[in-house]
Formats: sequence, C-alpha cells, structure tokens
Amino acid sequence: MFLAINEIKYDKVRYSLIIAVIGLISFLIFIISALALGLAHQNTAAIEKWHTQSALMTKDANGNMGQSLMQKSDIDKQNLTKSEALVGITPANVKADGDASRDSVQYIGLRDQDYIYQDLKLSSGHLPKNNHEVIIADTLDNFKLNDKIKIGLDDTSYKVVGITDDALYNMAPVVYGNLDNWAPIKGVTDQFKASGIISKNDTQLKAASDQLKAYNLKDYMNNLPGYQAQILTFTFMISFLILISLIVVTIFLYILTIQKLPNLAVLRAQGIPNRYLILNTFNETLLIMVISVAIGAGLTTLTAFFIPDAVPVYFDIPLMSLIAVGMLITGLLGALIPMRIISKIDPVTVIGG
Amino acid sequence: MTTLTLNNIEKTFGSGQNKVHALQDINFSTAAGEFNLILGPSGSGKSTLLTILGGLQTPTSGQVQINNQNIQDLSKKKRENLRLNEIGFVLQSYNLVPYLTVADQFTLVDQVKPKDNISKDDFESVIAELGIQDLMYQYPKELSGGQAQRVAIARALYANPSVLLADEPTAALDSDRVMQVGQLFQDIAKKQQRAVVTVTHDVRLKEYADHIYELVDGRITQVQ
Ligand SMILES: Nc1ncnc2c1ncn2[C@@H]1O[C@H](COP(=O)(O)OP(=O)(O)OP(=O)(O)O)[C@@H](O)[C@H]1O
Ligand SMILES: [Mg+2]
Repeated sequence: MFLAINEIKYDKVRYSLIIAVIGLISFLIFIISALALGLAHQNTAAIEKWHTQSALMTKDANGNMGQSLMQKSDIDKQNLTKSEALVGITPANVKADGDASRDSVQYIGLRDQDYIYQDLKLSSGHLPKNNHEVIIADTLDNFKLNDKIKIGLDDTSYKVVGITDDALYNMAPVVYGNLDNWAPIKGVTDQFKASGIISKNDTQLKAASDQLKAYNLKDYMNNLPGYQAQILTFTFMISFLILISLIVVTIFLYILTIQKLPNLAVLRAQGIPNRYLILNTFNETLLIMVISVAIGAGLTTLTAFFIPDAVPVYFDIPLMSLIAVGMLITGLLGALIPMRIISKIDPVTVIGG
Repeated sequence: MTTLTLNNIEKTFGSGQNKVHALQDINFSTAAGEFNLILGPSGSGKSTLLTILGGLQTPTSGQVQINNQNIQDLSKKKRENLRLNEIGFVLQSYNLVPYLTVADQFTLVDQVKPKDNISKDDFESVIAELGIQDLMYQYPKELSGGQAQRVAIARALYANPSVLLADEPTAALDSDRVMQVGQLFQDIAKKQQRAVVTVTHDVRLKEYADHIYELVDGRITQVQ
C-alpha cells in the first residue's frame, strides 16, 4: 500500500482523471440498472403484489393474459383453492364522464371471494361494495376519489371508491373492479367469464383441459408484451458497459505500468521482491476501483434525489451492491496484464547505458 | 568475512555475425575492507561486469562466487534475498523511485526489509557525509543530477549490504564531491568492512582505491 498511496498522491491529476472516468462509468451502470429495474417494476408490480407463483390461461392466448378468454366450462374444471384467484385482465382506456381525454390502463376484474381482492391494500377510500365501483392505481393521477369514469367499450359509468399503490401491469396503471364487468369492458360476449387464474401456491397450477396452459412466474412475466425485449436490451447495455470499463481499466493500468517499467526494474535489481510489486499493483487497482465505485454510488444517490417522478427508477440495494462488487472484480481483472508484465521484468534491461 | 570472486567469466551477446564478446576471460576477486576501482571507456563492458557480479545477469561461462557459494546454483528467490540483504547497487540511471521523497526512498527499504538495516547513527553520518540531510522531503525530479546520485549511494548503503556495487557513481559530480565520494567509499570499505566495487571512467577516484583495474574490450588487467 505504501508505494500505491505515494504514487497516487504524487500524480494526483493523472489518477483523478482515471478515477473520474471509471467513476462515471460506474455511475452510468448504476443508473441504467436502476432504470431497467424501474421499467421491469412497471411491468410486474401488480404481479408481485399478488405473490404470483404461476398463472393459467387459454392456450390460444400464447401466454398473454390480455388475450385469454376462458369459458364457464373451462373454469369449472379447475377446482380453485383459497390461494388461487380468477381474474379478467384487459387493456382499456378510461375517461372521466364528459371529458374527451383518455388514459390507457389495464382493467383487472376480481371476485370478492378471491384472495387478490381480499388482500388489496388501499391508501385511501374503501373496497368496491357493488359492481359499479372501482379502485384505481395511485399513478393514475388524472383521477381522484368519487370521480365517475367510463372504461373501455362499456357504457356504464363507474365510480372511483379507492386508491391503491404498486398497481402497475405491463407498463400501465391498473383499475381493479368486478370480474362481471370484464366482458363488457373488453367488448366480448358474456359466454366468456375470465381471462385466467393467478396462483400464489408453490406448486404450479395444472391445466385441466388441453385448451388451457399453465405458466410458471418467469414464463408468465417473459410473455408480457415487450417485457423480454426490454430486459434483454438492458442486460446487453449493462454487460457492454462492464466490458468497456474492463477495457478502460486494463488500458490505464497497462500505460501506467509501461511508463514506470525502468523504475520497477531498478527496484527488482535492488532486491525488492516481485511479490511486493505485484501486491502493490493489486492494492493500487483496488484503491482506484473502490474510490471510483464510491463516487459512482454517490452520484447515483444524488441523482435519485433529483430525478423527476416520471422517470421510472428503482434502486435495489442488493443488486447495486452486486454490481459494485462486479466492478471491483472487473478492475482487478484489468490489473492482471500489468501484474504479469511486472512479474516478467528483467532488471538488466535498464542497467546498461 | 565476505568474499566475492569471478572465475573465467565470459559473456557474449547475440550470435553469428552480430556476436559481441562483452567480457572475456575475467578473473577477479575481492573481500570486505577493499575498495576496487575498475576503469574503462564506454562500451568496454563495465555495466555488464557489474551486473554479473551482483547476480543480475548470468555469464555465458564461468562462475560467480559469493562467500565461496556459486550464485548460479541459488534459486531465484535466494538470489533476490541476496540482492536485498547483501548487495547494494548504485546504478547508472533511474536509481530513485520518482514518486517517493528522498526520506521515503529509505522507508521503502524498511517496508520490504524491516530488520538489519543500518543503525540510525550510521544513517545520520552517511547522509551528513553525502550532504543530503536537507533534501529529505524533496522528490527526485527536484534534485540535481549530483544530488540524485548521492541519494542513490545512501539508498544503496541503507540496507546494510556487505558488498557495494556502483556504476559511474560520480558521473554528475564536481571535483569536490568526487573527493568526498572517494573518501566515503574508502570509509565504507575500511571502517564499515564492506567490499566496494566501482566501475567508472572517472580517473579522479584513483587515489582512494586499494586496487585499480582496467577494462578494455571486455578484458581486465590489474594496474595497482
Ligand atoms: N543486452 C545486450 N545485448 C546485446 N549487446 C549488449 C547488451 N548489453 C551490452 N551489450 C554490449 O556489450 C558491450 C558492453 O556493454 P556495457 O553496457 O557493459 O558497456 P559499458 O562499459 O557499461 O559502457 P558505458 O560506459 O557506455 O556505460 C557493448 O558493446 C554493448 O553493446
Ligand atoms: Mg554502463
């Protein structure tokens, strides 16, 4: 550490620049992963709120609950337990009575005997008492309690009686209402009773007929329209940034090492052990990376305070810590080449002249 | 008592048309208490000889013995320890670590070799004799060539080596300083009982040496 600290102190400008570059890269990685998580959260917040473990819908729906139409005969064959809920999910527009502007939502119809309905937590208002009352997501901020709204293709006027949080499904805010209204809102005939079944049981739902298909949680989420593409894009961006930081660290350390090669060779001639010089490079890299990642984390925290509400970010501390550790390891990987160069220094090279 | 011996050393670089006989038929021996001066023009093989003496380079043929032990027979690790503990090098260039102050050049030695370095009193007198006591908090780039060379000498002595090998230690010094360094090397040999070998083309050091050799085209002859 002695050499490393003195070196950094002596060459403040150079090391500050390196730390600034790596710090900014880690800041970018933190922010992009927060953004990725935030967007993923907008897709799946409701699904997570229901403690979903598996889902069942018609085979034809191709994993997309919004396109699934279940008939009474399908439902009767599935003996629902207390930890399974019948749901009717459909994308829809809502507008206030007499107002032309519309908001896109996901209408989710529930039965009052099912667990999802019973577990709903409201930040204000009360649960619907009859089937013309609905509760809306708090992110749907064009509407408030006691508003009268029209939903989807249904002409009925619904009254907002409650507000709930974490109600987002496939990037849209959720309106919860009665399952019986799902068919008219979706505009299908009443031979269709629901879109599917959500289960919080550890054992996966089983399809009782070959018209139906069950999905585990992961497949269910991956089949949300656009979800997988989004996750892949972000995973790609983050891996690429980590790769870039690996290259940057390697290049920086390589140049630094090459420039001080004559001095390192003299130290070797004077009997300073290889191990000491290699350990010094390791420590120096660790120091640079720790400071850089700390700066990245600091900037991220600062940004979190000032970022507009409309930007969907979600800071997951365990994941961020994992990324930080990943950055440190990346830096140390970058030190491998310089450490190899040092271990191969021939002291004689500098002695002639 | 430390002895250092070269037996029939030969060193060639390259092969075929480009073959260079840097050293030929070198026999040399010294012991603690002696100040040896090896004089030679540029390209005569001085640095090559010194690095072979210090175990940094292996000769093409012949043996290097320190205390009757063949250096070639030692493991890499043992040779490294030998350099750290027994041999002090003053090299022609790059002697000092640029990002350490003069004081920290010595601290670095303490870091890797906490024990058996020269006593505080000896250190004080060495830096006084070299006239570098006021340079302790300067960086090498703030030193003149001569000051840097004197710090390098102190640095080499700091680890309390039994052999001091110096390559052109007076190249950047004026005559007064050359006399002081000559006197210092004599003291290092006589009073501190070390073996000192200096290679140089600086004839001003002659009067302080016990033994003087001449190196011409890789061949050595004793002249005093
Ligand atoms: N690594 C090497 N490869 C090839 N030739 C070398 C090498 N090292 C030294 N030589 C050659 O060996 C001869 C002696 O070189 P050396 O560096 O020992 O001379 P020197 O007496 O120290 O010269 P100077 O006073 O200029 O420092 C020269 O001809 C040089 O070109
Ligand atoms: Mg030389």
